[in-house]
Amino acid sequence: MSVPISQMWTVATYVLAQKIRKRQRYPLVLMLEPLFRCNLACAGCGKIQYPGHVLRKDLSVEQCLAAVDECGAPMVSIPGGEPLMYPEIGRLVRELVARRKYVYLCTNAILLKEKLEEGTFTPSKYLSFSVHVDGLREEHDETVCREGVFDQAVEGIREALRRGFRVTTNTTLFDGASAIRMQMFFDEMMDLGVEGMMLSPGYSYSKAPDQEHFLRRQKTNELFSKMLENPKKRWKFNQSPLFLQFLMGKQDFECTPWGNPTYNLFGWQRPCYLLQEGYAASFKELMETTHWEEYGRKSGNEKCQDCMVHCGHEPTAVNHTFTSWKGFRDTVAATVTGKL
Amino acid sequence: MEEKSLEGWAPDIRDAVTLAEAVDHAFDYRGDITVLLDDGCELIGYLFNRNRDAAEPFVQMFEREGSGPSSIPYARIRAIRFTGKDTAAGNSYAAWLRSKEAAKAASSPGA
Repeated sequence: MSVPISQMWTVATYVLAQKIRKRQRYPLVLMLEPLFRCNLACAGCGKIQYPGHVLRKDLSVEQCLAAVDECGAPMVSIPGGEPLMYPEIGRLVRELVARRKYVYLCTNAILLKEKLEEGTFTPSKYLSFSVHVDGLREEHDETVCREGVFDQAVEGIREALRRGFRVTTNTTLFDGASAIRMQMFFDEMMDLGVEGMMLSPGYSYSKAPDQEHFLRRQKTNELFSKMLENPKKRWKFNQSPLFLQFLMGKQDFECTPWGNPTYNLFGWQRPCYLLQEGYAASFKELMETTHWEEYGRKSGNEKCQDCMVHCGHEPTAVNHTFTSWKGFRDTVAATVTGKL
Repeated sequence: MEEKSLEGWAPDIRDAVTLAEAVDHAFDYRGDITVLLDDGCELIGYLFNRNRDAAEPFVQMFEREGSGPSSIPYARIRAIRFTGKDTAAGNSYAAWLRSKEAAKAASSPGA
């Protein structure tokens, strides 16, 4: 695992504090979407299909910070849309870093070099660029439906690393992914010098153009088992090892839909980052009035049956680490030995 | 596989569908709609939220000319028409594959 000690400590103390307070439901990562605009139109993405007048809107920095303060999660992930297209991304990140939030700025990196050269960001242990790369050049360019984006991402990663920024990658895996090619991809990313990689199977957004290439549960287990059965020591993953074991079929976790709450132009999204079943005006309203029992695999909800995505299951994995000796032991063992 | 788009649909709320069903379809629709209110006014915009569990059920919209969000009680809605372009319709992945195949064919020897 490649998560820095200070970040691990922050998360551990936060989770333990929630346990001491006997808080049954608590957020771990706020998914903050300040805009829906994007400079790509990826086949698997259901996040950007809106009329032009909606796409032109942005949350204000003040709205973003109010959401961050109300939510209280120790980590903030900024997806979108493409966050580097948000006009006040520099100020937003500065404010979040000043609040000691660990920020993952999820970007396709097309604009990253330009923003770094403009001096929009300052290196900080609290800021990590989480660059979207869905595999080697051929696979990535096909997923994002544009040639040359992989090379732009690599250029952005190199520039960010050269300037002393933390850089991770986030990779969504679809049906047809090759375990061997993914292993080559892990080597290539580590050669670049990224701090760690994040992996997740894709989710079949009802509004995404491509509905045929999402992984089902058994295929997910098979693919991740092949990819990660004998992981090289040099491969670093910026996520819970228990979540990776879950993807391999070695752990059985339920979804924690409130673990990564989502805030965007429409409000607090019910029930999770992936499903859009309505919006609450406040985080308190989201937590108190969402019918949580209707979501997750055990609920029988058809939309949740094949979902193994990180935003619902990684919070479960983290919670498991801190609420059971087995979870703690498995996490320590995987972290120390590098075996999954 | 592609769902049939509701673009252009103008349901008869009294007979064919209930108001709640029409609102649910509008909530799921990724384009602008036109809402006819009880006072004869029309609102054109994107319906992004609806709450049937509230004491007074309501919808929320961003209006096309830029204002909003505004809340409208269900009780004031007389008709909903799906007038804007459905931005989720179409098949960009298939288009991408077609263009890639066309490019490959064009660059292959003898093309």
